[in-house]
Amino acid sequence: MASITRFRACDHLLNLNAFRSSFKKNGMPSAFWFHTTPQKFVVELKMPSLSPTMTSGTIVNWHKKEGDTVNPGDVLCEIQTDKAVMAFETEEEGTLAKIFVGDDSHDVQVGSLIALLAEPGEDWKSTTCSDTSKVTSEKANNPPKPNCDVSSLEHQDKKNSKRAMTLGPAVRNLLERYGLSPIAILGSGPRGLLLKGDVLHYIQKENLKPVPIVSPTAESKISLKAIGTEPKKSDLSKGTMKKIQNLTHEQEYQDLELSNMRRTIAKRLTASKTGIPHAYSTINCKVDTVMNLRKKFKNEGIKFSVNDIIIKAVATALDLCPEANVIWQGNELVQPTNVDISVAVATKSGLITPIVTDVLGRGVLEIGDIVRDLAERARVGKLQLHEFQGGSFTISNLGMYGISEFSAIINPPQCAILAVGGSRLELGDDGKPTTVMSATLSYDGEAISPLAAATFMSTLQGLLESPQSLLLGHRSLPE
Amino acid sequence: MFSVTLRCLGRQVHQQNKSLAPLFTYSKNGLNTEATFDTKPFKLHKLEEGPATTVTLSRQDALKYYKDMQMIRRMETAAGNLYKEKIIRGFCHLYSGQEACCVGMRASMRSYDAVITAYRAHGWTYVMGVDAVGVLAELTGRSSGCARGKGGSMHMYVKNFYGGNGIVGAQQPLGAGIALALKYQGTDGVCLTLYGDGAANQGQLYEAMNMAQLWKLPVIFICENNGYGMGTSVDRASASTAYYTRGDYVPGIWVDGMDVLAVREATRFAIDHCATGKGPMVMEVVTYRYSGHSMSDPGTSYRSRDEIQEVRQTRDPITGFRERMLSSDLATADELKDIDQNVRQVIDDAVKRAKSDKEIGLDELTADIMSNPIDTRVRGVTAFDTLTHKRLGPAVNSP
Repeated sequence: MASITRFRACDHLLNLNAFRSSFKKNGMPSAFWFHTTPQKFVVELKMPSLSPTMTSGTIVNWHKKEGDTVNPGDVLCEIQTDKAVMAFETEEEGTLAKIFVGDDSHDVQVGSLIALLAEPGEDWKSTTCSDTSKVTSEKANNPPKPNCDVSSLEHQDKKNSKRAMTLGPAVRNLLERYGLSPIAILGSGPRGLLLKGDVLHYIQKENLKPVPIVSPTAESKISLKAIGTEPKKSDLSKGTMKKIQNLTHEQEYQDLELSNMRRTIAKRLTASKTGIPHAYSTINCKVDTVMNLRKKFKNEGIKFSVNDIIIKAVATALDLCPEANVIWQGNELVQPTNVDISVAVATKSGLITPIVTDVLGRGVLEIGDIVRDLAERARVGKLQLHEFQGGSFTISNLGMYGISEFSAIINPPQCAILAVGGSRLELGDDGKPTTVMSATLSYDGEAISPLAAATFMSTLQGLLESPQSLLLGHRSLPE
Repeated sequence: MFSVTLRCLGRQVHQQNKSLAPLFTYSKNGLNTEATFDTKPFKLHKLEEGPATTVTLSRQDALKYYKDMQMIRRMETAAGNLYKEKIIRGFCHLYSGQEACCVGMRASMRSYDAVITAYRAHGWTYVMGVDAVGVLAELTGRSSGCARGKGGSMHMYVKNFYGGNGIVGAQQPLGAGIALALKYQGTDGVCLTLYGDGAANQGQLYEAMNMAQLWKLPVIFICENNGYGMGTSVDRASASTAYYTRGDYVPGIWVDGMDVLAVREATRFAIDHCATGKGPMVMEVVTYRYSGHSMSDPGTSYRSRDEIQEVRQTRDPITGFRERMLSSDLATADELKDIDQNVRQVIDDAVKRAKSDKEIGLDELTADIMSNPIDTRVRGVTAFDTLTHKRLGPAVNSP
C-alpha cells in the first residue's frame, strides 16, 4: 500500500495561463515540422436526416445567426422531421458564415445545402460556397421565374395594352407551360390577336421545351394573370399583395402548404382505414349522475371535467373486459398489463394523442391534471416522443364542440378508439328529461369480437350511469 | 541562441518553484523533445503496486497521439454527417469523446498483441492500421472499405484486430479465446478485450474471467465506461459501478480514460502483468461519449445538453492533451493547427472517395466467406441452387 502515497493529483492545467503568457512573451520562433500552405476550410452543412424515414423536413428556427461562433455540440437549428421536432447539433467548430435556408422553410430535401461554416478566426463574411449549384433548396424556395417578368410586362403593356387585353385560355395555358411572354410573339388574329397556332408555331420555330412544373408561387401565377387587367400607374410601384386584390373573383386563391405532420397523419389514417376491418358500435349513456356528481364537487371547490371521468371509466371498463384491451405487436395480439389511454388533442399542426399512463392507478383529479398538462404542452409542440407514442386505447372527445356523435379511425397498433359526443337532453323512461351522451366505439374486427365490443360498451355504459361502481373493481375469484 | 536557453532555464526554475514538476529536455529549435507529466492517481484492486503516475512523453509521440486523436474525431464527425445525409445506412456507433482510450492503449501495445472490441469500432480500426478511406468506405459500403463494403460499421478487421462485434458482450469470451491461442502459440502476446459498461453486467464476462484466471490467460478485460449503456446511466444499471473491482479474484485498475498518457501507462503496466504469466487483469477506463448511443439516439433524452458541454469544456481528451503539449513546449500552436488542417484534408479526401468508389458486384456474394474452405459449394436460396465459393482478399488473422 506504500505505493499509494506516491500518487499526486495532476494539476498542471492550473498553471496553464502562466505558461502560455510566458510562451507569448518569449516570442519563440515557431518550428514547422511539416507545413502546408494555409488552406481555408469551409464546412458545408447539409440538411440532415434526423429520423430513419425522413426524406425532407422543415427548418423551424435557427438558434444561431450568421456570424455566431459555433462550438462542437452546439444546437444550430430545430428541424421538424416526419415525426417530431429535433435539434440539429454540429460537431464542427467555427463561425456560421451563411444561412441559405432560413427559419420556417418547408420541404427542405435531405442532403441539400442549408448553411456554411467558416473556420474559426477566418473572415466569415467572405466565405463562399465552392459549388453553388448545390444550393438546391434555395432553388426550391425561389423557383425560376418565367421569362415574362411582371414589371417588364407591365411596362410594355402600356404600348400594347389593346393586344394584351384578350388571350384565349389555350393560348394562356401554352404561354404558361413554356414560360413565354405574349409580347414576344406576333399575333395573326383579328386586330393582332394572339392565336394558339401563333404560339405553337413560335414554340416549334424556337424549338422550346416546357418549363419544369414548379410549385406555383403567388408571383409566377400573377405575372400572367395580371395581363388581363389594365395596369394602373400607381400599381407599378406596389407589391404583389396589391395585385392579388386586383384579381377577379374566380382567380382569387391561396395555396396552403401541407405540414409534414399532416401528411404523416393522412398516410397513417388511410393505411388504417383501408387496412383494418373497422366495425362500429354506438351506445347511449344517461349521464345525469355524473353531471350531478360534478356539480356537487364543483360547489365544494373541487373541479374536474366529464372527460376525466370518461377516461377513468374507459380504463375501468377495459380492466373489466380485458378482451377489448388488446394491441397488435407485429402479427400477434397482446394484452397490456397496464391501461394507458391516449387522448386526442387538436393542435395547430394536426391531431396528436398524448398518453395518460396507468389510468387504473390514478384518481380522477390526477388524470385531469395530467391531461391538461399534456394538452397544453402538445399545443406548443413540447411533447417528448414517449409521451405520445404507445398507449393501448384512444379516446377522442368532440362533445365540447356540440358534436352529438361521430366515428373515429383506429390508430394502429391499437385496436379500438372511442368517439365521445356531447350530452343532450332527452325524454327519459319516467317522462322526465334526462341527459344522454353517445359514444361510438370503432374497433378492429380482427382483434376484437363483436361480443367483446358489446360487453365493453355496456360495461362502460354501466360505469358512466352509476359512477359509484367505479369503486368496485374485480372479484378476486370467478363467481 | 544563448538568450533563448537562458530564458528557458529561467522558466524552468520558475516552474519548479511552483512545484509543478515537468522536466524538460530542450532541442535546438527551442521546443522540448521530452516532457514529464503527472497523471491522475490510478485506483487499484488486488494489486500491491500500480503504474507510475509520472510519465515521460516525447515530442514525436505527442504529435502522433494528437494527430491520431484528431483523425478519429474528424472521421467520426464525417461518419455522422454521412449518416445524416443517408449515405451511410444501418448501424453506426460513434467514438467521439473516447479517442484517448484507443490511442493510449495502442501506444503501449506491441506489434503482436491482439484487440477485440464491441461495435463502437471505428477508432480502433484506424489505430490498428486501416486508413480513413478504409473505414469510411466500409461504412458507405464501397469496395475500398476494409471489408470491401460487405461488413459496415460493426465488421471491420485487420491484422491482430478481431473486429467490431455486433452482439453485446459476445466479444468477451472470444477475447479470452484469442488469449488462449496466443498462449498456446507460445508468444507472450496479450489480448485486449474491450467491452462497455453495459456489457459489464453480462454473465458471460464472469465465465470468461473465471477460465482466464484458472488458466492464467494473457487477457486484459477492459471496461470502457462511458457513463451510459445505451440510454441507462451506470448508476441505474449496475449494483457496483466500480467496474475495476468486478473481477473479484482478477486484479483491477482504474484509469482516467480522458487522459491518453494515463491510459498508455496503465496499458503498459497491464501488458507487463499479463505477458509475464500472472494471468488476466481488469482495467476500467472512465470516459465519455459525446454522441448518442447510435445514430437513432439523439443522446439528450437521458442526460442534459449541459452535461455534455461541460465534459467537452473540462475533460475533452484532445483539448486537454493539446493544452499539455502547448504548456510544456512540446509543440507550437501553429504546428498543431497544421496537423488539424492536414487531418481535415485527409478526411475530406477520404469522404470524397467513400462517396465515389464503386460497390462490389454480385459475383462477390460468395467470396471470402471462409479462409480455407474444405467444400467450396455454397448453398443458394434453396438447397438446389449451388454457388461457388471464391477467395479474393487475404485472410485476415488466419493462422
